[in-house]
Amino acid sequence: MSEIALVGNPNSGKTTLFNYLTGSSQKVGNWPGVTVDKKAGRLKGHPNVSVVDLPGIYSLSPYSPEEVIARDYIMGGNLDAVINIVDATNLERNLYLTTQLRDMGVPVVVALNMIDVSRSKGEEIDVKELSKWLGCPVVPISALKREGLDDLVGETIRAIGTEQPVPKVFQPKVEEAISAVSAVLAGSEPDGLLRWSSVKLIEGDEAEREIHADDLAEIDPIVSSLEAAMDEDGETIIIDGRYNHIAAMVAVSVKKPDVEVVTLSDKIDAVVTNRWLALPIFFAVMFVVYYLSITTIGGWGTDWVNEAVFEEWAIPGAEQWLTDMGVNDMLVSLIVDGLITGVGAVLGFLPQMLVMFLLLAILEDSGYMARVAFVMDRIFRRFGLSGKSFIPILITTGCGVPGIMASRTIEDDRDRRITAMTCSFMPCAAKLPVIALIAGAIFNESPWIAPSLYFIGIFAILFSGVVLKKIQGFVGTPAPFIMEMPAYHMPNARTVAISSLDRLFHFVKKAGTIIILACALVWFLSAYNWSMAAVDVADSMLADIGHAVSVIFAPLGWDNWMATVATVTGLIAKENVVSTFGILFGLEEVSEAGDEIWANVAGMFSSGVAGYSFLLFNMLCAPCFAAIGAMRRELGTWKDTALAVGWQCGLAYAAAFVFYHFGTLATGGGLTIGFPFAVAVLALLIWLFARPMPNPEAGADEGVVPS
Amino acid sequence: MTLSFANVGETGSIRKILGDDSSRKKLMDMGFVEGAEVRVVCRVSGNLIVEVKGVRIAIDGSLANRIIVG
Repeated sequence: MSEIALVGNPNSGKTTLFNYLTGSSQKVGNWPGVTVDKKAGRLKGHPNVSVVDLPGIYSLSPYSPEEVIARDYIMGGNLDAVINIVDATNLERNLYLTTQLRDMGVPVVVALNMIDVSRSKGEEIDVKELSKWLGCPVVPISALKREGLDDLVGETIRAIGTEQPVPKVFQPKVEEAISAVSAVLAGSEPDGLLRWSSVKLIEGDEAEREIHADDLAEIDPIVSSLEAAMDEDGETIIIDGRYNHIAAMVAVSVKKPDVEVVTLSDKIDAVVTNRWLALPIFFAVMFVVYYLSITTIGGWGTDWVNEAVFEEWAIPGAEQWLTDMGVNDMLVSLIVDGLITGVGAVLGFLPQMLVMFLLLAILEDSGYMARVAFVMDRIFRRFGLSGKSFIPILITTGCGVPGIMASRTIEDDRDRRITAMTCSFMPCAAKLPVIALIAGAIFNESPWIAPSLYFIGIFAILFSGVVLKKIQGFVGTPAPFIMEMPAYHMPNARTVAISSLDRLFHFVKKAGTIIILACALVWFLSAYNWSMAAVDVADSMLADIGHAVSVIFAPLGWDNWMATVATVTGLIAKENVVSTFGILFGLEEVSEAGDEIWANVAGMFSSGVAGYSFLLFNMLCAPCFAAIGAMRRELGTWKDTALAVGWQCGLAYAAAFVFYHFGTLATGGGLTIGFPFAVAVLALLIWLFARPMPNPEAGADEGVVPS
Repeated sequence: MTLSFANVGETGSIRKILGDDSSRKKLMDMGFVEGAEVRVVCRVSGNLIVEVKGVRIAIDGSLANRIIVG
């Protein structure tokens, strides 16, 4: 059994290559994100070779979580070979990682990807020359067009177990220092990693310095005298050394045409990042995304699934079949009223989600999403967040789980954690039926309700960004913005399909597990009383629980037990809110927007203000269990997860409370008893927002991410 | 001068990167090293997209202020 890993820069085509190499055998760990997780599979045609896809990285410094994952994995010593995928169209930057990998004692095969694009630009790359400089095989390929891939697999299999000559990339003075440090370390590191560790120690790498704390007394003088001799710090000596070596290598092995052309990407960038046009273009693009996924194509698909598949076929069909089989009535009720109805309400979203995920994947793959992050950065920075937070927020509008997962691509620890904690304020696709229900039942289908909640979502994120940054542990300014803007290209159908199906699959998995359980539980609690006798909903255990808990929500204007139960089931999954109302009002099936129960729902709330307060709380409070689980993974500890959920619920409660009491006054409902408290809560929120930054130095150093 | 003062379309060669932190290391990892040619592709309220070593990279104004070109 051999193990190989795929390593390369982001946007180098790594995912496409991995999908080809492993075919259908790939296993994705837990949540599928973009390329944030360790994916593994078997090498096609070589079942005894496993392939691991490491996250896309520019370097093996221990700063971003991706770099830490990749670095630890390669240094773990279980690897038999590394395929280093390199973008032939920008060799210099890509080879930087290659020169680092070559120091690590693992056999490397360089996959020179996008060779077709490089050729079409008129570049000629001398593969043999490159291979000589790097001391390892170099195979030109096109992962998209599936060229050269058999050669790549062959070379990789051949490379396993070989010892490749390590090229000396630095000038003699530096190489001498490396040897001197290696002599000190000899014995404490496996031979293969000796050079790597020595180079990293000269760079002043924190992680390596910790490992070799005992040897620092001997090593530091070597490094200092090198720094004195070169009049540079160790980090600069090493990085410059690598880039100089690469520049020399590229000068000999690559022939570029002389003509300088303004590329298409430059022209597009001049328009989409234009000071005046950037935001209008972005809003237009997002309008098209929502129009296609929610209103038209996706919406039609959802209607079809709800009406044709479930209402007309699955539900009556299953009921008939089970009754014919002589199944116990209670079991029929559980399966039909509880499970199929509940799960149906969720599966109805699939067409909408699929269309939305497809469109978002196209935006990501084409390179536009990176520009959105750049454009949004100047706005988000004012609120202490980075523009990179915007991509998770956008994905959250589809589903919070992949959205929270996507926050992992933000390098800065604080920015990443705050994004993971707050991006679920955005209405996800599962919250849309709740919005449609309240807008339809209470606000005469006003078109302003849904957009208002997106704005409130964004506002809640920015507000939280400022407030959380002022809480100990999150203090500090956002990390400087550095992000590669990949060249624009036509989105690849396969890449887009795989990425969106991945996200969709996760949603289905959630529907198939958590939501089935929740539906069964709600059905059970609503069909029986405490002495296990079958009763009407109004006398059930659920009603009792609802009555007891509803006191908490009385100050928000809705102390209705059914609204309370729906809110609680909404914690399991937001789709449950509508289906719970369906079960509570005794309907077998509720369409997505719940038209059938509009009158019942309207009757639950004393005023429109109370209805909106209910909506506000449900939109902002803790997301579904699946999203909380994703948050737990990103934040690392239950303590921080509890802090996040507490903040979300607290802010939701405060917002709904303030809204209800001010809203009641504004709509002529007079002064409520709670009004003075609402003023106090509002004052507290403003103070949290506006208070000065406490002790800015406390959290200013960048921590290495806890795994 | 610092990169933040370079005109759109202008190409300069990097002299030095000021400061000493992980952002500097990140810049250098991504190709902002002494002697590298850097071209300003566009500028939006102080933030820049620049091209260095054949790759377009977006950086904010605070970083552009730390990159000395000549």
